[in-house]
This record gives sequence, C-alpha cells and structure tokens, in this order.
Amino acid sequence: MTEKEEILVIKDLHVRVDDKEILKGVSLTVRRGEIHALMGRNGSGKSTLSYTLMGHPRYKVTAGQIWYKGSDLTALAADERSRSGIYLAFQYPVAIPGVSVSNFLRAAVKSRRGTDVPVKEFRKELRNRMSSLNIKDDFLSRYINDGFSGGEKKRLEILQMELLAPDLAVLDETDSGLDIDALKTVASGINSMTGPDVAILLITHYQRLLNYITPDYVHVMQDGQIVMSGGSELAHQLEARGYDWVAPAPVV
Amino acid sequence: MAEQKTVSTATQVDDPTKRREEPTWMKEARLASWESYLSTQLPGIRDDGWHRTDISGLNLADLRAVDFHSPEASASVSPWVIPALDSLSSHSGVLIQEAGTPAYLKLDSELADKGVVFCDIETALKTHGDKVRRYLGEPADLNDDKFTNLIKSWFNCGLFLFVPPGVEIANPLLSFTSVNYRSSGIADGAVLPRLLVVASEGSRVTLLHSVTAPLSQAVDTALHAGLVDIHIEQAAHVSYLELTEFGPAVYSVTNTRAWLNKDASFTSLTAALGGRLVKGEISTYLNGQGASAEVAGVVLGADNEKYSFNTIEEHNAPDTRSNIHFRTALKDSSTSIYQGIIRVDREAQRTDAYQSNKNLLLGSGAKADSIPKLEILADDVRCSHGATVGPVDQEQVFYLMSRGLTAAEAEELIVLGFFTTVMAKFDHKPAIAWVGSAIASKLIAHDRDSRKQSAGEQK
Ligand SMILES: Nc1ncnc2c1ncn2[C@@H]1O[C@H](COP(=O)(O)OP(=O)(O)OP(=O)(O)O)[C@@H](O)[C@H]1O
Ligand SMILES: [Mg+2]
Repeated sequence: MTEKEEILVIKDLHVRVDDKEILKGVSLTVRRGEIHALMGRNGSGKSTLSYTLMGHPRYKVTAGQIWYKGSDLTALAADERSRSGIYLAFQYPVAIPGVSVSNFLRAAVKSRRGTDVPVKEFRKELRNRMSSLNIKDDFLSRYINDGFSGGEKKRLEILQMELLAPDLAVLDETDSGLDIDALKTVASGINSMTGPDVAILLITHYQRLLNYITPDYVHVMQDGQIVMSGGSELAHQLEARGYDWVAPAPVV
Repeated sequence: MAEQKTVSTATQVDDPTKRREEPTWMKEARLASWESYLSTQLPGIRDDGWHRTDISGLNLADLRAVDFHSPEASASVSPWVIPALDSLSSHSGVLIQEAGTPAYLKLDSELADKGVVFCDIETALKTHGDKVRRYLGEPADLNDDKFTNLIKSWFNCGLFLFVPPGVEIANPLLSFTSVNYRSSGIADGAVLPRLLVVASEGSRVTLLHSVTAPLSQAVDTALHAGLVDIHIEQAAHVSYLELTEFGPAVYSVTNTRAWLNKDASFTSLTAALGGRLVKGEISTYLNGQGASAEVAGVVLGADNEKYSFNTIEEHNAPDTRSNIHFRTALKDSSTSIYQGIIRVDREAQRTDAYQSNKNLLLGSGAKADSIPKLEILADDVRCSHGATVGPVDQEQVFYLMSRGLTAAEAEELIVLGFFTTVMAKFDHKPAIAWVGSAIASKLIAHDRDSRKQSAGEQK
C-alpha cells in the first residue's frame, strides 16, 4: 500500500500567548485518512495547539514550522485556512447574539464552496443533516450559540463540520459535556466524515469517545510537548493508569 | 409648474404664513412660534441635551424652506421608493413627499370608510382642521427650543394620522420623504416635517417613516428638522419607526414626543444611518396608569459623522413600564453621545424602568459617550441602567473567520447582529428586515470605499 499524503507536518513548534510560552516544541505528522487522538492533562496545551492550527491571532508561533498540504501554514489567516480545508470544532464555541444560525451557515458554506448554494437545495441538505444529528428545526432561527446548552453547542460544531467538509478536522473536546445519546450521535457524525482523504485530530479526555471512534494513533501532551505516542491501546492504558504513569504532574 | 413658494428664513421681515392657504388659527400659531424662534438662541454645548454636540457650524439664516406640494391623483410612486415597498410587502397606505413634485397619497378605502385619516399635513389643515387644531393650534410653548420653534413656524411637509376609537390597523402606514436638492433648485434647503399621530382609545396602528437626503456635491449645508407628536389614548397602541439616511452635507435635528394615556403602549425604533450631525430626542410621557413603552435605537456612523441622541422617559403615573435599548456602531472617525434620562414622579409608584446603551467602536478614530441620568422621586420602583463602550469582540471575529468568512464579512455580520437584537423588539418583522438591509448596505458600501482607498494609497 502506498503511503498517503502527509497533510499536516508540525516540527518543533513553539507558541506564545500574551508573552507566555505555552507550546514548547511540538512535533506531529498526520496523513490523509488517519485519526489521531490527542490526550493530556488540563492546561497541557491541547487547545493552544488547536487554536494555533486554526490561526488565532493571539497565538504567536515563535519557532518551528507547520506544513499543511505541503506549504507553510503560518502565513495564512484563519479564513484562508478554513477555505483551504482546515476545520476546528471549538472546545468553547463562541456566542454571537443577533446572528441567526441559518444566515451564518449559508455564509460559511458559501465561503468554503466558493459559490452561493441555492436556498432550497441548501435548506434540504441542512434539514437532512440536522435530523441525523437530532437538532431541532428552530435552531436555524436562533442566534449562534446564544443560550445554547453545552450539548447543543457541540452538535452545532459537528453540523458545521459536515457542511464544510474539511480535509483536516481538529475536534477539541467535542465529546465533553454530552449525555450518552448525544455522544453516540456526535460520534456517528464524526465517523460519517472519515474517509481515505480526511485527517482527524481528536482532542479528548475520555476513552468513551474512542469506544466509537478508533484512532490510528494516540498522543499524550504534557507541558507543551508531546511526550508519548502509541496506537489505540495507549488510550486504554491511560484510562487505567492515569497521566502520572506517563510523566509526573508539573509543579504549578 | 406650481407656484414658487420658497421663502427665506433669513431676516425678520420673513413671514412663515405668506402664500399659505391655511386656517387663520394655524397662521397665528406659526407667527407666534416665529416670534419665539427669533428670540431664542441656537442651543450651545452647555445646554441640556446638547453636550458635546456643536451645531454652531449650521447657519440657519442661510437656509431656505424647500417646496413641497399637495398630493395629486396623477402622481405616481417614485422609483426610489419601490425597493422599500417591495421589502415591506403589505401596507395600508402610502404617502410619498419629495421636494419639488406633487406628493403621492394612497389609503385603503376600507380604512377611510372607518374614519381613519392618513394624509399630508397641508391636506390635514385644509380638510381636517377640527381634528388637528387641538394639537397644532396650541399657543407657542415657552420651553420650545430654537429648532422646535423653527419647525412649528415653517414646517413644509409631514403628515397627519388619525385612528378612530377601537380601530385596529393590521398593516403599517408608510411615509417616505426625500429631498432632491437638485430638482428643487435650492442650494441650502431646509426640510421641516411635522408629524401628528392620534391613536384614539383602544386603537392600534404602525407607522413607518423614512427620510432620505442623498449626498449632493452642490449642497454646502442642508437641514432636516422634524417634530413628531404621538398621542396614544387609553389602551391604544402605536408602533413607530423612523429611518433617516443623510449625506455628509445634512444636519438633522428630530424631536419625537409620545404621550401615553392609561394602559396605552408605545413601541418605537429609531434608525440613524448618516448625516453630518444627527441629533435626536425621543421623549416618552407615561401619563396614565399601566402605560408601557419599548424604545429602541440603532445608529451606524461612518467617516466624520456625528450623532447625539437623548431619550427621556417620564413616569408620571403608577404601574408604568419603560424599556430603552440604544445601540451605536461607529466606523472611521464618527462619534456619538447618548444621554438617557429616566424621571419617576412621586405619584409613579411601582414604576419599572430599564435603560441600556451599547456602543461598538469599529474605527480607530471613533468615540462614544454615554450619560445615564436617573431622577427618582417615588420610593417603590425598579430602575436600572447599563452602558458599554468597546471594540468588536475578537473571539467572535475569529470564530466566524475559522468558518471561512473574511475579516470584513465577519465584522459586518457581528455588527448587524449587534443591531438585530434590539431591532427585534420592534413588532413588525418586514420593517426590521428593511432597516437591516439598509444597515448592511451602508456597511458594505463603506467597506468597499475604504478598500479602494487603501488600494489607492498603496500605489
Ligand atoms: N492568554 C493566556 N495567558 C497566559 N496563559 C494562558 C493564556 N491562554 C492559555 N494559557 C495557559 O496555557 C496553558 C495551556 O492551555 P490550553 O487551553 O491549551 O490547555 P488544554 O490542554 O486545552 O486544557 P484543557 O484540557 O483544560 O482544555 C494553560 O496553563 C493556560 O492557563
Ligand atoms: Mg482545551
């Protein structure tokens, strides 16, 4: 079997936020078709990595490189990254009062596909995807994440991912705060996205999501670095033995 | 061609009643206000409600009242109104007043049969003198400021809306006023509308009023000064929307006053989308027990535009309620000052009043001030207020950009959303969409201009 394209190559990445170094030399290679799980203690730097990949202006790359589809990613703004196929499901999705979900989704899909989708066709696609994610119709007229429950926010993140059909999806704790049924719904949403050309970076604290989605690789982050990598069995070991087994907790 | 009625307001020899075919009592009222006008000063930045609002650049003596004309059956809907009519869909009546041409007037015959009156102010004075005299014939008020006196003496357009007791009008009445300075042949024109709304006991009505004066290179200064009086009788309801869009040569001063009787309610939305200096005062007098008011304002500034708005809620009776939501977004070097006053009379126990003012600073030179003022004499009241001033939330921008929207598109959507939450309080959905699209056009046109400019600078 020929090796799939390396869609994401991170080399010795150092990142600062407000003058504090958070990532201290992360290296990671992800090929198309692969699912990577990223685990690690609270505050170890997982979300920092996901924001950096998406191009959040507050996260400054001070050293190292990020290559995406063979070219340097760091110069691109967040919108350019999105249009080139990167998607981030936020750990804490942002509320935007006054902006309806339907207007927002149309604008997002238009940006990604580069052309306006006919209203009727778009509505139909939306309805189908919403019903398989168990999202109520009245969602469309509500304001983005405004007053949404934790589970509703996560479902909206998955709905957007499906509509935007990314090549590289970073899911930052999309499983957190979900009840068992919602977890299954979200997991099947993620599974329906997987394929030979799509790469997924799954940030999670729990083995339970990995019961539904089997990662090809599991990485452990600690104090801004990836300190251990392995196959899907590593997640089970972490679940049983905790992070102290990998590395002692840093002194805060 | 209609008879030339242009009169200069420049000197004392001017007579605002000249060549007007009006009842004597109206002429007397005009003259009395003209006397007051001549003896009052232009408001200065130390006067109540005029803080940091410098209008001294406006030379009233140079202005001339523009000519408006009575409706004619042969008049047709002006092309510039058609997009608005399309987006507002169903309506009960339309009045279009454009400087220099006959007005267009239409009212559903069914409503006319019920006794509803909807017409331009000139027609009202001719044919409904008995109904309007009570309001327009009152002696000059010593408290009237310079602009109110100017409007009361020289008003040259406007409308009268009367809804008889118990009549509920489902679809809105529409009023469009435009100043086409070129065709009116006047360099420095004054558009002085006077609007009078009387909603009798138990009636319901929605009035949408828009005034536009496009940018015109030929104009040095121009003035729009309007007086809007709304009388809401017992258990009646009035929804009133005012949309103004002016070019950079136009000063605008609007005074809107609503009087609410027992159990009356008032919903208003004021949208200010342009002008050199736009000053607005919206006063609500809650004079009857159980009266309630929902007052919203949206202001989008750009370039060097200046905005100054006051809201005054007077709670003069028990169990009255008011909700004020004023929102401003300022691009470039535009500035805004908002002053919100809540007065609660000794009698007005169990008043419930809320006032919120939020300001988004989009441009590096933009500035917004917010001055809340509470004067409370009753002891059993619920009164609160809040104000914020700040830039667009960068986390919101990032969230939208992470979905592929450009920085400019993201900002547009966020600003529109910022306004939408308060516009949603207005109870006529198509009107909200109509104002929303006017806001969006200004945002987009402005982005395009600034992009062109920065591209030009790079060359
Ligand atoms: N603006 C900031 N200034 C200073 N420190 C910051 C800032 N933002 C994040 N940090 C710190 O960076 C570290 C990594 O945060 P990050 O959100 O990446 O962790 P995480 O691994 O995603 O944690 P969790 O599992 O709780 O989501 C934390 O110690 C956090 O406090
Ligand atoms: Mg995190």
